[in-house]
Amino acid sequence: MSLVGPSGSGKSSLLRAVIGLQKPLAGTVETGLAPSEIGMLFQDDALLPWKTARENVALGLIFNGVEPPRAQEQADVWLQRLGLAGFGHRFPRHLSGGQRKRVALAQVLAMTPKLLLMDEPFASLDAIVRARIIQEVATLVERERISVLLVTHDLEEAISLSDCVYLLSQGPRAHITHDYRVPIPRPRDPVRARMHPAFAPLYEKLWNDLSREVDRDQRAESTV
Amino acid sequence: MALNPRHAWLRQLAALTIVLMVWEAAGRGHLLNPLFAPSPSQIGAALVDLFGSGRIWPHLNATFTEALAGLLIGIVVGIVLGVLAALVPLIAELIEPVMTLLNAIPRVILAPVFVIWMGIGIASKVALAFILVAVLMFFTVYSGIRQVDRKLVERIVTLGGGRWELVRHVYLPAVASSVLGSLKVAVGFAFTGACVGEFVAASRGLGYLLSFAQSTYNTALMFALILLILVVVLVIFGIAGRLEKHLLRWN
Repeated sequence: MSLVGPSGSGKSSLLRAVIGLQKPLAGTVETGLAPSEIGMLFQDDALLPWKTARENVALGLIFNGVEPPRAQEQADVWLQRLGLAGFGHRFPRHLSGGQRKRVALAQVLAMTPKLLLMDEPFASLDAIVRARIIQEVATLVERERISVLLVTHDLEEAISLSDCVYLLSQGPRAHITHDYRVPIPRPRDPVRARMHPAFAPLYEKLWNDLSREVDRDQRAESTV
Repeated sequence: MALNPRHAWLRQLAALTIVLMVWEAAGRGHLLNPLFAPSPSQIGAALVDLFGSGRIWPHLNATFTEALAGLLIGIVVGIVLGVLAALVPLIAELIEPVMTLLNAIPRVILAPVFVIWMGIGIASKVALAFILVAVLMFFTVYSGIRQVDRKLVERIVTLGGGRWELVRHVYLPAVASSVLGSLKVAVGFAFTGACVGEFVAASRGLGYLLSFAQSTYNTALMFALILLILVVVLVIFGIAGRLEKHLLRWN
């Protein structure tokens, strides 16, 4: 499931409220999950620079009561799954941007969350690395049956990864104006999903609706 | 001519040798008054005498004990107060103005106060070294923690870390680099505190010997002591540098 919308529509705030970094001004967030069952992947890979990749991945497990030696073992397993076998002893400084993103992913996935929140997680990566990581994430998420709430500016990313896309209106007091079902079958390769016949029409519709939101906001501004 | 940077120390050594030789020659040619500037050989002789007679050891021992005790207590107290102030707003409200005040004054002016409170023994020197180091460490840690990247904090929180985990995995490692950075300054401060304290009132220590050399116009002894303190501090700097390199190897 994806959330798209103009800047300032509160997409990130919504994610932060779900994971409890921010208290909603009114109302409550209901997920039916314990906090440890929700993971969050941030736009920047804020890894602890003084811990190795392995130690970074093990961190969440240790916080949740796993014995450190076991947590390190599991960390290695997750690093391997994300194609980083043998990189466990490296410090974040000595990893590329894509590798750091994989470590951050391993860190979140090692906690085996039921719900994964992603706040423009791939925005800072170059195109090829980005496509590869998105493919891997899609595969892992499908296999582990993790629900994902993705915030993005990238409509292609939203459609190719999601079953549902929600469009938020311009803030303040943003609300969901449209929702779309993505009729591309699963299991799905997010790169090839873009070649599915349903992709282009849905993209066009989303784009028109989003443009209208942004335009409406600019008209509102000019009348003030 | 291209200078090979790896041989810089050779050129520096050569320059130093030339300066010392000119100095020595000027001394022997009676161009320098030994009362103001004793020649290198006289300073060397004073140094050899200090160690040869064994006279230096109780003084070295006293100054080292004072400086290292003050350094250790100052670092621990400074770090603890800095962490507490950064995490508990009430403590920051109470401590920060005091620390700012102590930071603004030249803290060595407290030396006479400590002598009156604690006598001319070791305690007043430890106290002076302590207060010099503790204030430095407090600000290093306090501002270090407040500058920690919010994103790292949020990351740890979303992974299920509580306040203690934040201190242990984020705040302490984050301030470690700044603490180690100011460790060298702290070593200097600790010896300043010890020597100034001895200078004011003492019966032992390098500062006491210095003040004795001054009052008897023994310039050769004075320069020998300054040289000795220099070497001591350089050695400790070297150890601190090693420690820094090891603990900050992630950087």
